[in-house]
Amino acid sequence: MPLIEIKNMTKDYGEGQGIFDINLSIEKGEVFGYVGINGAGKTTTIRHMMGFIKPQSGSAVVNELDCWKDSAEIRKMIGYVPGEISFPDAPTGTEFLKRQAELLGLKSMSYAETIIKKLQLDPSANLRRMSKGMKQKTAIVAALMADPDILILDEPTTGLDPLMRAEFTSILKEEKKRGKTIFMTSHMFEEVEQTCDKVAFIKNGKIIAVKPTDEIKHHEDKVYRIEFTSDKDYLQFSSEKFEFANKDESKNQVTLNVNDRQINALFKALKGYDVKSITEIKYTLEKYFKSLY
Amino acid sequence: MFNKTIFKQTVKENLKLWLIITLLMSVFCALLIAVFEPETISNLSDIIKGTPLENILEQETFLGMIAKTFYSIHGVILPLIFIIITANSLIASQVDRGSMAYLLSTPIKRSAVVGTQAAYLITSILVMVIIVTIIGLFSIHIFQGDTAVNITDYLLLNVGLFLLMFAISSVSFLFSCTFNLSKNSLALGAGIPLAFFLFKLMAQVDDSLEGFKYLSLNSLYDTNAILDGGSYLAQFTALTIVGIVLYVTGMRIFTEKDLPL
Repeated sequence: MPLIEIKNMTKDYGEGQGIFDINLSIEKGEVFGYVGINGAGKTTTIRHMMGFIKPQSGSAVVNELDCWKDSAEIRKMIGYVPGEISFPDAPTGTEFLKRQAELLGLKSMSYAETIIKKLQLDPSANLRRMSKGMKQKTAIVAALMADPDILILDEPTTGLDPLMRAEFTSILKEEKKRGKTIFMTSHMFEEVEQTCDKVAFIKNGKIIAVKPTDEIKHHEDKVYRIEFTSDKDYLQFSSEKFEFANKDESKNQVTLNVNDRQINALFKALKGYDVKSITEIKYTLEKYFKSLY
Repeated sequence: MFNKTIFKQTVKENLKLWLIITLLMSVFCALLIAVFEPETISNLSDIIKGTPLENILEQETFLGMIAKTFYSIHGVILPLIFIIITANSLIASQVDRGSMAYLLSTPIKRSAVVGTQAAYLITSILVMVIIVTIIGLFSIHIFQGDTAVNITDYLLLNVGLFLLMFAISSVSFLFSCTFNLSKNSLALGAGIPLAFFLFKLMAQVDDSLEGFKYLSLNSLYDTNAILDGGSYLAQFTALTIVGIVLYVTGMRIFTEKDLPL
């Protein structure tokens, strides 16, 4: 029995907006990525999971409890980072976190302190004047501090710089190790690739694919970019029997699609050339994603 | 239906406005009581004897004077301002801004969130009126020691004021619960109570405009009936029922609607 299960869920806002017949199941301990462009229906799906909106048909179930009817019960297990960061009126971040802890019935702030330290956040700053990144960090602390079993994160890394993004990724990995189930949306493909076990793609409100991240990373079709030292080599190589994705004469560069089975043939062919550099262009989620669109 | 922690936080967040309004009301109330001089009225009565104005001041008493000033204007418009701003900020503005997401990502039921906010609005108005009543009683004691004042009638004026504000606040609260955008919640939640206030004023200007009183909830707070021994219980009951029905409806709507959080 999956921990989170969405079955045939539909919410039609008209004019193609909304989500249509969504099916998802997330196992306990899984890190699940939910990818799609803006307006694809990511946040609408999350709002159903949080019990903020009622599905027109179908259902969302967390730990065998209905997300709409038993929403308060379910929220005991969930930490939530909303997609849009807008805090209640509180003078400082510390005060906001303190009030949030009161509402959660949290006795100790020790776990909050740990996360604050890891994110290098100074919560004593004025809440309204915080930078986007600081606000995001504060929201992350608020979601994690009660140490909930499930994390629902709507674009959690918005506004974070690359270093903090890496730190956040390591926090997520640690939470996963501690047995947490994580559901996160993103349009940052790298981030999903690094953290998630499984990824679902949503487009125009419909799920178009659900894949384990491994499967995408260990794709057999690879893309290489090769640069030659001389024009002569470049021209000569251009006439070899490979599948060229792109040729750039000005840089003496070619881009090739190569299946792993052909890799030896490629190296044999390259033996006679003066190669300046060879780079594998990672087959990213982005690319996978694009090929689906 | 109620959450102590939210109540505490809501009191804190709205304390400033509440204090300012309560203070202003107390000052106006005390001032209007202090400046009243029974001679002024008898002098006036002499002057206008035989003119059409005569029946306006007919049998004017201290409480009649207070009812026409404080309990028609200052004492009504000030709490109205508090209600309009606060009702919107309690629900609609938090949904509009998205900050409600933090309240509702805790295991507190929606019904408890909205119930607590309603309880706050009602309590804050009640305490406001109680404070003003006490200030008024003190002022009467200090400034009008020689005037004969019917304290029961004075208290009834305040009970009526509270019931009127209870009913008015239920209108603003209902729209705050209904709309996800502040501007819509304010358009109706502020517009309707203000219209009620103005209609009542209009009705008093001239007999030909009297019909306006039927368009106003404020007409159910009939100070003349209270002071002249007329029937006011039915009106009080009506205000109470309107308040209860609209508050309950608002809470229901909020509990069952879709929230864009």
